[in-house]
Amino acid sequence: MRYFGHFLLAFLLILPGLAQAHGPTRQKLALSIDVAAEPEAVWAVIGNFQDMSWHPAVFSTTGKGGNAIDATRVLTLKDAGGPTISEVLYKYDAGKMSYSYRITAVDVSVLPVTNYSSHLTVTSKTGGGSHIEWKGAFYRGYPNNDPPANLNDEAALAAVGAVYKAGLDALEKKFGK
Amino acid sequence: MRSKRSSANNRLLFAAVVGALVTPVGAFADYAYVTNQSSNDLSVIDLDRMVEVERIPVPGQPVGVAVAPRLGAVFTVSPDSKTLRRFGMSGGAPVAELRLDGGPIGVAVDERRSRVFVSDWYNARIWVIAAESLAILAVLSTGSAPAGLALSTDGHWLATADRDANQVSIFDAATLKLRHRVTVGLRPFGVTFSPDGRLFSADVGSNTVTAVDPASGRVLGHAATRERPYAVAFSSGRGFVTNQYDDSVSVFDAESFAAVAVIDTGEYPEGIDTSADRRRIIVANWFSNSLTVIDSESLEIVGEIATGDGPRAFGRFVSAAPAPGKVPTRTGGR
Repeated sequence: MRYFGHFLLAFLLILPGLAQAHGPTRQKLALSIDVAAEPEAVWAVIGNFQDMSWHPAVFSTTGKGGNAIDATRVLTLKDAGGPTISEVLYKYDAGKMSYSYRITAVDVSVLPVTNYSSHLTVTSKTGGGSHIEWKGAFYRGYPNNDPPANLNDEAALAAVGAVYKAGLDALEKKFGK
Repeated sequence: MRSKRSSANNRLLFAAVVGALVTPVGAFADYAYVTNQSSNDLSVIDLDRMVEVERIPVPGQPVGVAVAPRLGAVFTVSPDSKTLRRFGMSGGAPVAELRLDGGPIGVAVDERRSRVFVSDWYNARIWVIAAESLAILAVLSTGSAPAGLALSTDGHWLATADRDANQVSIFDAATLKLRHRVTVGLRPFGVTFSPDGRLFSADVGSNTVTAVDPASGRVLGHAATRERPYAVAFSSGRGFVTNQYDDSVSVFDAESFAAVAVIDTGEYPEGIDTSADRRRIIVANWFSNSLTVIDSESLEIVGEIATGDGPRAFGRFVSAAPAPGKVPTRTGGR
């Protein structure tokens, strides 16, 4: 018990450090797509922080706080009981059709990133239609030097890129080229 | 800071004397030396003409940068290849480099003593390195995850932001002895000395700037910022703080710490510094690949300049310097 107590104490002391730790090289990624529908129609689907059902990888969204700053949501992936991603909203501007959020908790086996923040923006295109941009800034999943291949910078970029592409492809299908 | 100002003052004096006789010739201009982490290079930007004048390859995803006008040098740190490099201020290939085994990230220069300090993020220490030979002279212990470093204006103090220890370490820059460990806000990242010698940390985790008296180690107060303050610069009696998650700069009164204004910048503003004439504040926008130039008096944005990909400019990155391609002129350094 005493040993366990020491272990627990050490663990609790280390935990906040682990939660915050990251490597020194931040990555960024921006993917975008043009669709036929007008921005208002697109925003009506993707502009609600509490509903990410438009993304094919998301099984369900539960959260609180609506679209207010500091609102939270938990995305369950794949199916009921699937892996989850916890997120918090830190910027929301319905007028500019843009919001920003960051991940507060995700297992690196689900998404190999740390300190992840993201922005989704819809703008109008001259001549009609919408431009949808999804951007992210993050560190790799392995916070220390010399990461294993599955948790390095390239793995983080590939994983986030795949998530964005799947989401934008689904929106293109929904709103037309 | 002092060297920058005194060289600026010398320039002003020189310009005034020459100007009385002939038309002043702009042999020197303000330059920004911007480390572009994603494109692996250094943008040399003429801040008077607001254009990039040179792009120098810097492998290994450079982050930290420190200009040393008295030494005619610019130092960069690439965390990915773990390399410190020294360049001449007039550009061109690096004149010296050193591989540092650990997690090098931030860099600062003691121009009076020709010493370079590099923080080791992974090993809670600072390398003390000879500016000329890049020989390692000593290693100093800090708190966990040291990031930003700064030298005080009078050359007396060296400070580090020990991010994961929520503290700053303050060393006597002459003797290299640790003087204080001061608890600041949560996860300090950038540190800067104000022109009057106080130390300020940008506390990423608590959205504050903490002011510290380096002599006593006493916390003098806090200024509130927006989301994720990253680094601080000073001009016109005000502090300017980049808010990484808010695409803005918070301006606070350097005496009262009261909020003055919030200025919109590009996305993910990070490095911030003051021009040699102290009239402009220069901000590197990591996501937007640009510099935002702010008039420090009017607080108006007076320019936006393109950089390479992923400008970090973490450290002192603005200095008066000879035009690239010209022979560097040393301005009274020892």
